[in-house]
Amino acid sequence: MPASMPACRMSDVARRPTRRPRTTAQVLVTVGLVMLAVLIAVALFGPSLAPYNPTRTSPASLDGPTLAHWLGTDSIGRDVLSRLIVGGRATLLITFVAVAIALAAGLILGLTSGYIGGAVDLVIMRALDVVFAFPVFLLAIAVVAALGPTLPNLILTIAVVYTPTMARVVRGPVLSVKRWDHVEAARSVGIGEFTIAVRHVLPLVISPVLVQTSLTLANTIFTVTALSFLGLGPPPPDPNWGSMLAEARQFMELAPLTVIGPSLAIVFASLTFIVLANGLRDVLDVAGR
Amino acid sequence: MIRMVAVRLLLTLPILLGVSVVAFVLMRALPGDFAQASAGTSTISAEALDTIRRNLGLDLPVWRQYLRWLGATLSGDLGLSFTTRRPVATEIFPRLAVTAELTLIAGLMAGLMGVTTGLLSARLRGVAEWAVRGWNSLLLAVPNFVIATLIVLLFGLYFPSVGIFNYVAFARDPSGNIASLLLPALSLALTVSVTISENTRAAVLEVSSQDYVMVAKAKGLRPRAILRDYLVRNALTPVVTVTGLQLAALLGGSILIETIFTIPGMGQYLFDSIASRDYPAIQAIVLVAATIVLLMNVLVDIAYARVDARVSYE
Repeated sequence: MPASMPACRMSDVARRPTRRPRTTAQVLVTVGLVMLAVLIAVALFGPSLAPYNPTRTSPASLDGPTLAHWLGTDSIGRDVLSRLIVGGRATLLITFVAVAIALAAGLILGLTSGYIGGAVDLVIMRALDVVFAFPVFLLAIAVVAALGPTLPNLILTIAVVYTPTMARVVRGPVLSVKRWDHVEAARSVGIGEFTIAVRHVLPLVISPVLVQTSLTLANTIFTVTALSFLGLGPPPPDPNWGSMLAEARQFMELAPLTVIGPSLAIVFASLTFIVLANGLRDVLDVAGR
Repeated sequence: MIRMVAVRLLLTLPILLGVSVVAFVLMRALPGDFAQASAGTSTISAEALDTIRRNLGLDLPVWRQYLRWLGATLSGDLGLSFTTRRPVATEIFPRLAVTAELTLIAGLMAGLMGVTTGLLSARLRGVAEWAVRGWNSLLLAVPNFVIATLIVLLFGLYFPSVGIFNYVAFARDPSGNIASLLLPALSLALTVSVTISENTRAAVLEVSSQDYVMVAKAKGLRPRAILRDYLVRNALTPVVTVTGLQLAALLGGSILIETIFTIPGMGQYLFDSIASRDYPAIQAIVLVAATIVLLMNVLVDIAYARVDARVSYE
């Protein structure tokens, strides 16, 4: 589509450039949704899809790809394909629950902060600035290391780490939308402040939040797999992509597929949300980051 | 100017205080007994534990413990490492220098790549723009530790003669030291370059819609001259600040990269400290990293105000 677009711009100077035509953006969203459906389906039905028990060891260690084991076996003879299929479950569970919590917290904090303003705004935003000051991954790693890498700890940590980003994305547009005429009109006919905030302001700021949620999902996939990679992920013996990659590093010259498999799985998962975010940004007409 | 710097620093103080509280609470929230962890063994007499507790001030109320700890931290005493029994401060700073060097090289690489691809996608239309967009999306989707692992795999398979785990200290061999950091820096830089690229693109497009660019075009200035004297110069200001703000991402990423390439920096120190449950070290690393990020943000703000007279932070 873009290649066949006529050069109809009057000049490069006068025009703000290039919002892609709607159709392309819709294709992106569709592709993203299909990828997401694949991810979720594999996560849900993984155990019945996997050809082998992903934790069963066998004497055939570090085999190359064969008809029996399409992606070969790992260092203690487990089937790599089966481990890949099942290995996304914990990562995706943590990702979805953590981002849902961060989203809810961000919406509440951002809306409260932006709509009420004044001292409330100052206190909330400074408190979030504190969390924001830590490099995300460093904070996650330190908290998980201190509390122990259990599923609830991982989820809570990641939710806390990503809440400030969400709150900021909500608060920004709330600051301007709350001054719009329809808000004043709602107030003048006696609608309560809470109702105005939730029914008349929130719906108008939701587009950038959706885009940011999608990006945060991609970032969370990183964080979770990176924590697992360092041995701070969901506890063994269940496979997950991050720890598979870490285990495979020792033998990677002998069996490159054990490294490439989980790498591609991680890339596929995060690409899903990046494609979705890109498409949503254009469909919903949200300005670039 | 001095007034502005002072105001910015003052605004940062409460956040720094909050950061210190988080770092303090993090260590007290540990499962189990801090004194026990400090002793490093579970077979220890009750009297010995009491002595440790008194020495560490653990018998005091929490807020006094915090003030005591804060005072010590401010005077540069970051506590004793549980494993080496040496001051954490003397352990941390040599490693910080290594990470700073890695981060600097990565930042330069990311800036170079990001500005190039960003300029390309802003100036060229059609296929080139799409190529850059696709490339950026792909880079964004590949985490730095995956890139690093794949680089290690690639060199292990096809260029086994190139040693990639050959970190040497800068003092011993400066050029060898920089060479040994190139691949790790590259794996850090790729993801960060995407943000810089997208911001460069946005900034260039913003500037090209300004009137003075139209005037320059109308009076017949060559496109190359417009690009050099108007676009790049004006667009680079926001780009420089964005690069500065990417420091947090670079610092976070260096934990993984240093572990993979066995570089003795802060990241590897954090990783080792977590493995050996050396809590004072973990606390110090978190505190130092957050402080650096905050100060860097202030620096970026000030630099921004220096170059753009319209900005003020009163």
